[in-house]
Amino acid sequence: MAYAYLFKYIIIGDTGVGKSCLLLQFTDKRFQPVHDLTIGVEFGARMITIDGKQIKLQIWDTAGQESFRSITRSYYRGAAGALLVYDITRRDTFNHLTTWLEDARQHSNSNMVIMLIGNKSDLESRREVKKEEGEAFAREHGLIFMETSAKTASNVEEAFINTAKEIYEKIQEGVFDINNEANGIKIGPQHAATNSTMGGSQGGQQPGGGCC
Amino acid sequence: MNYIFGVIGGQSAGPQPTGAETVQKLCDRVASSTLLEDRRDAVRALKSLSKKYRFEVGTKAMEHLLHILRTDSSDTEILGYALDTLYNIVCNDEEEEPEENHPKQEDDMGVQFTDKFIQEPDNVTLLLTLLEEFDFHVRWPGVKLLTALLKNQCAQAQGIILVSPMGVSRLMDLLADSREVIRNDGLLLLQQLTKGNAAIQKIVAFENAFERLLDIITEEGSSDGGIVVEDCLLLLLNLLKNNSSNQNFFKEGSYIQRMKPWFEVGDDNSGWSAQKVTNLHLMLQLVRVMVSPVNSPGGTSSCQKAMFQCGLLQQLCTILMATGVPADILTETINTVSEVIRGSDVNQDYFASVNAPSNPPRPAIVVLLMSMVNERQPFVLRCAVLYCFQCFLYKNHKGQGEIVSTLLPSTIDANSISAGQLLCGGLFSSDSLSNWCAAVALAHALQDNLTQKEQLLRVQLATSLGKPPVSLLQQCTNILSQGDKLNRRGSRVQTKVGLLMLLCTWICNCPIAVMHFLHNQDNVPFLTGQISENLGEDERLVQGLCALLLGICIYYNDNSLENYTKEKLKQLIEKRIGKENFVEKLGFVTKHELYSRAAQKPQPAFSAPEHMLFDHEFTKLVKELEGVITKAVLKSSEEEKKEEEVKKTIEQHDSIVTQYKELIREQDSQLKEMKEQMASLTLQNETLQNTTTQQLSQIQQHKDQYNILKLKLGKDNQQTASQVDGAHVNGLQLEELSQLREQLEDLHRENQSLQTQLAEKDNVITSLKAEGVPSAEGSTSENTEILRQVEKLKAQLQSQTAEITQLQTERQELIGRCETRATVPVTGEDSGYSEKIAELESRLSTQNTETQKLKEEVKALLEGKESMEKELASATSTVAILQAEKSKLQKEVQDSKKEQDELLMLLADQDQKILSLKKKLEELGETIDDEDDLDTKDQFDDEDDDDEEEDEEDDDE
Repeated sequence: MAYAYLFKYIIIGDTGVGKSCLLLQFTDKRFQPVHDLTIGVEFGARMITIDGKQIKLQIWDTAGQESFRSITRSYYRGAAGALLVYDITRRDTFNHLTTWLEDARQHSNSNMVIMLIGNKSDLESRREVKKEEGEAFAREHGLIFMETSAKTASNVEEAFINTAKEIYEKIQEGVFDINNEANGIKIGPQHAATNSTMGGSQGGQQPGGGCC
Repeated sequence: MNYIFGVIGGQSAGPQPTGAETVQKLCDRVASSTLLEDRRDAVRALKSLSKKYRFEVGTKAMEHLLHILRTDSSDTEILGYALDTLYNIVCNDEEEEPEENHPKQEDDMGVQFTDKFIQEPDNVTLLLTLLEEFDFHVRWPGVKLLTALLKNQCAQAQGIILVSPMGVSRLMDLLADSREVIRNDGLLLLQQLTKGNAAIQKIVAFENAFERLLDIITEEGSSDGGIVVEDCLLLLLNLLKNNSSNQNFFKEGSYIQRMKPWFEVGDDNSGWSAQKVTNLHLMLQLVRVMVSPVNSPGGTSSCQKAMFQCGLLQQLCTILMATGVPADILTETINTVSEVIRGSDVNQDYFASVNAPSNPPRPAIVVLLMSMVNERQPFVLRCAVLYCFQCFLYKNHKGQGEIVSTLLPSTIDANSISAGQLLCGGLFSSDSLSNWCAAVALAHALQDNLTQKEQLLRVQLATSLGKPPVSLLQQCTNILSQGDKLNRRGSRVQTKVGLLMLLCTWICNCPIAVMHFLHNQDNVPFLTGQISENLGEDERLVQGLCALLLGICIYYNDNSLENYTKEKLKQLIEKRIGKENFVEKLGFVTKHELYSRAAQKPQPAFSAPEHMLFDHEFTKLVKELEGVITKAVLKSSEEEKKEEEVKKTIEQHDSIVTQYKELIREQDSQLKEMKEQMASLTLQNETLQNTTTQQLSQIQQHKDQYNILKLKLGKDNQQTASQVDGAHVNGLQLEELSQLREQLEDLHRENQSLQTQLAEKDNVITSLKAEGVPSAEGSTSENTEILRQVEKLKAQLQSQTAEITQLQTERQELIGRCETRATVPVTGEDSGYSEKIAELESRLSTQNTETQKLKEEVKALLEGKESMEKELASATSTVAILQAEKSKLQKEVQDSKKEQDELLMLLADQDQKILSLKKKLEELGETIDDEDDLDTKDQFDDEDDDDEEEDEEDDDE
């Protein structure tokens, strides 16, 4: 299908926080209560619309287990967006966010948009991490934040779409070099001609330059 | 080189150093030399020796070379020599020494040195870092070395590269290298890297490998391209084979659409180079990888859909029908089409509609079947056609019906060749391979399709002139029983196996077909004969299949044929064959070596025509039946009976259970409905309760407000009407009013009495005036003044009475309102809350406004009353004053009367004196009239003065 842009995402976070379920809910609109451990990395894709433009999201869902960490690192560099997921019913998954973030910042390109996600918001009775804590962490580290439930599909669409919006805005501001596919962004066939020149001319602008 | 070899390699002379010694010397130089140039020369020398003295260089120099790689990274030349040398040590393909016949040893050597190199994972990481060096002399040998390492110790090397940060990404960058040699060797490197490692395959795909590889393929001219295209395709195959994640990515990336142009090969037979054949072959394989039956069903079906939508399937069918296509490509295309349509309705329907461009146009299926039963066609092609036919019928009841219908008498079209005709022809041809293929193809038309199994029983064949037609089923058994008399090209076993598989599939799960089969008296004796005979090795499979067929006849027997009931057949087995023997023979089928091979995958892929014995679907059937048949045969008749009874009871139970199940299901659904209703009702209830509690609290509030208002009103009334005690809006105001009325009446009475008094006084005064006494003149003026005052009073009284009447009417109104208000019911809150509440609310509000109005009115009335009271007070005081004045006046009047009386007395006395005096005067004779007049005048003057004084006193009061 024709698209204006293609964004590559990765989903990272501790094992069992619901990364694969988030992806499944987003791509297939269903929830699988029993899910095998992800081995290495799994792929999923979906088309969304932002600002009237078709945008293809290619999403790599990574294994959360420590033993796969070295493999999943290979995906940071080529991704335009990352969903960093923790489980609101498990404090330790929230405590590990710093490690994940350091890892991501170290291996990714500096413009990668990171969305912090507190998943399992349907399990309010078992909540161990307050929403305010997630918000505070996100504010402190310059991330976007959302609480989601892969089970009820609450905020799942929004999480993926808002991340895309952020990337889209960064493109509009000229922060991303869209001609370098290593950034995880690709221009669609029908936009290639017009946007490549635009991207080139705006490439040098600073992030704050888009205030006009 | 020759010179060096000549010098160092010459081993004839004793004093000359051996290769090992030279290598040692060079190693020492590499290690100890301080000059870069010396080291470089030494490494160059080592490189040149590394092929001939591979072992020596490998064992002695590797450490030194690795050291060079670490320390001399600034000099690309020395790096290049070192990498070349290492490559030579590690690499096994010694093209220069093809004659030496100990490749195994060499293999070992390469693996050994690779192990040594890899032992230290840092060495691999170092190599990865060196690949970032752009210089050709470094990068190229680096790529080759890494490829060789991967070839020798794939898994280990992959593991190290996988965990080194950005390792795979760096290698992917090789594909972007502008130097073709490096890009091409990079392709070879990636091929090795991705071999059997899903994690690496995914990373490579993530690094846009599909895009780049497809771009390269297009740049190189697709199938017309050279070996680079082949390498790209091999790499793509590595990335996609058995990797569902990458397959999904490939599909989602719309790369399937990019495969379509690959197959746009014209009909011109100009170029079918070996390379093109290879390339196309790989391209077809790539398509098959995406729709392989071993993939997840969801993934395969979505790819099949995409391939139809983008026209890839249509393109492949064009190749299928094109002329001049090499057999190899044609075969693979058939296999590819097979898997693209397998189990997909849309694609199967499309395939059924494809016509060959012949005259007249024939369906592609017919054309293909013609090849299948044509013994001159290559074996692999015939297998491919069979596979295609199987895939067309797989889960395709419509297609199965269409094929079977071409054999039925009503629909046979004599003018054109049909699929059914071709299959029958194949079934009874003199070529065993055709027999087998046709039998299996026909079996697939019956697979899991009871209708077609029964339909096919209707098929009659005209064997030869003059003889009555024979049913297809009978013809099959006839050929079987002809046995050794069969004259077949190929193997008789193959024909028999094919027919037996067809018969088993046909009558399985179809009691009518079983009856048809048993109906022929020859069939059972033939089967028992086959099974009981002690035949050779190659006939064992036939024996096993005969046992299977007999078993099916028992298991799916509905006992409608008296001679061949289950029981009788079993007795027959026991007598003729022996139960144990039967089971053993049955076991031959699954124990056959080709059985398990066929069970692995649907495609009939046989290394040789004689291996063509088992069909994949048939192996499934055997697996299903072997157990149940063994059980059925081994059981004694009594057991059988018991079982039968049990079965019956079970069936009864089952039917009961199913009834109950249905009942439960119904009830379940009812329950569900009820629950839903319940839920909605409880919800409604809750909301209603909420609203009622709210309304109740509102009512309470209103009540409280009402009470407060009542109290307030009461207070107000108490305050307003001082005469009225505890005025409670209703009723009590009446008392108030009556009191007021009484007061008013009192006042009236008073007024009236006063007026009567006044009137009396007036009368008195007028009478006094009328008396015409001179002294009365002063009192008249007094009286007029009093009269004026009285007039004023009267007017005041009148206005007051008017006001009072107004007040009375207002009171009346008030009373009325109060009564209506008092009649408003505040009870009855249990039912119809909302309405009543609404009413109550509206009433309350009206009442509130009314009370407000009433309050205001009461206030106004109060004020009125107060002013009236004041007026009344002033009136009463003036009345009192008037009374006092009146009493004074009365006294004065009495005084004046007394005076008048005294004066009258005096006057009478004086008159008498005067008369006496007059009489005396008359007697005396004198008149004295004037003096009398003067005296009376003086008297009146005195009285006037007195009146004036009294007036002044009045004023003072």
